[in-house]
Amino acid sequence: MERFKNYLIQLLIVPIALSVYLTQIQIEGYKDIEQRIEKFMMLPKGEYLKPMTLGYEQLVGDIIWLRAIQVIGDKVVTSKGYTWIYNALNVVTTLDPKFVYAYQLGGVTLSTLGNRPDLSNMLLKKGMKENTTVWQIPFYIGFNNFFYLDDYESAAEYMSLASKLPGHPTYLPKLAARLYVQAGNPNVALEFLARMYKETDDEKVKSALEQRIKEVIVERDARFLEGAVNRYKEIYNLYPDNLQDLVRKGIIKEIPQEPFGGFYYFNSSDSRVYSSVVKERMKVYGKK
Amino acid sequence: MRILVIAINTFKEAIRDKILYNLLFFALLMIGTSLLLATLTVGEQSKIIIDIGLASINIFGVLIAIFLGIGLISKEIEKRTIYNILSKPMPRYQFLIGKYIGLLLTIAVNTTIMGIGLYIVLAINELQWGHSILNVNPDIWKAIYLILIELMVVTAIALMFSTFSSSSSLSAIFTIALYIIGHLTEDIRLIGEKLQSVTLKGVINLIYYLLPNLDNFNVKGRVVYGIEISPIYLSLVTLYGLFYISIVLLLSGMIFQKRDFK
Repeated sequence: MERFKNYLIQLLIVPIALSVYLTQIQIEGYKDIEQRIEKFMMLPKGEYLKPMTLGYEQLVGDIIWLRAIQVIGDKVVTSKGYTWIYNALNVVTTLDPKFVYAYQLGGVTLSTLGNRPDLSNMLLKKGMKENTTVWQIPFYIGFNNFFYLDDYESAAEYMSLASKLPGHPTYLPKLAARLYVQAGNPNVALEFLARMYKETDDEKVKSALEQRIKEVIVERDARFLEGAVNRYKEIYNLYPDNLQDLVRKGIIKEIPQEPFGGFYYFNSSDSRVYSSVVKERMKVYGKK
Repeated sequence: MRILVIAINTFKEAIRDKILYNLLFFALLMIGTSLLLATLTVGEQSKIIIDIGLASINIFGVLIAIFLGIGLISKEIEKRTIYNILSKPMPRYQFLIGKYIGLLLTIAVNTTIMGIGLYIVLAINELQWGHSILNVNPDIWKAIYLILIELMVVTAIALMFSTFSSSSSLSAIFTIALYIIGHLTEDIRLIGEKLQSVTLKGVINLIYYLLPNLDNFNVKGRVVYGIEISPIYLSLVTLYGLFYISIVLLLSGMIFQKRDFK
């Protein structure tokens, strides 16, 4: 009888262990990604955290870094979520100020994925203070100022700053020079984006950049087609019914391919060219 | 000669300790796991591995130093073997130094094993990326060397506490506390700089120089980024460590000499 009792108690371990497992799964269901990001909000300031790490600041920085990059690029991360990711990366770089890659990846993701060039620039400028010889950091600031903030002059300044640092790619001085002259040209933006794409390792950031590249191609093509439409109007004194007319009348050879797989059309109500996929024209390059 | 005999005996005793193997196992496990953790990051995998590896060597080294160090004397008292040894015609300080050197030997061997473990993991990482093993950052050995000096200081402190404290858990707490404070001395100095009163400033400064500046031995971050660690810095820090150890051992000897064993 006593032996049987012991046996029964041992058997109980299995259902209890199973219950532990099942409850944990239930708990996990309540921890969504928002919660994982919100944890970054509660991080103490890097300045206060640093003495608490007792000389292990790199290790603590790595742990926060690893957590942060797991959520970077997830679609559900909102703009507010990126504020917290900025917060996490700010702590990481205070603990580990020479961690250049954190500035780089943070800089690109905050602007391309999070649409927060302000936070991106804040992080990058902090990185510039700590790492004065890394050309990528001013390069990214230049990109932000050019692409998101419309500040071509300071973009060109940061670019030429980057082109004076060791290890910079040979195209950089040229790019800086073109920025000064042709600030609003989508082709310059495309060149820029292609370089950014090459400099990035992270897949999520790469796909975000690819999206941007396609959007700029749409803008470039739309401008090209609008130019053709205007020439058509000068010749025939009326707008074409559709874009095919331009080809038929020999004004352009062909209509460029829409990069998202859609098509271009002419909207007679505001006499502008649109893509069937990208409904809005880019604001940055919209002004002339 | 007698010191050497005691040292070798202490070493033999220490490597039979189960705590040592437990800690060594976990240290190597951590270093190995860093290879997996590194896959979570993007770019610069070796940074994560070096960070985790050096931190593991440091943390587990400190634990080994503390848990073996505090037991050095108290175990002898508990087992009453100390009466046997001290009744021999041998100054007590020789016994103490012998014990210390024996433990250092153990710690040096362990640190080397952990260092080789880290080197192997880094080499595997390089091979995974199709690079040559020669790419492994050789500066990690400078960091490991300084960690070893830090461990020597911590061991001396643990030994000192174990000469007068009757409970080994109390010695452990004291040593851990001093280890923590030893890493916060920079902040103590900053507090001193902000103070107005000259006397208070003097007191803070005194405390600053009295406490072990364990952060001197921390070059983990600099190794990762390939920032030059000059031979002058290495030798200065080594000297600092040796001087500090001498003082601590001298104090321990003085306390131990006067201690009554009933």
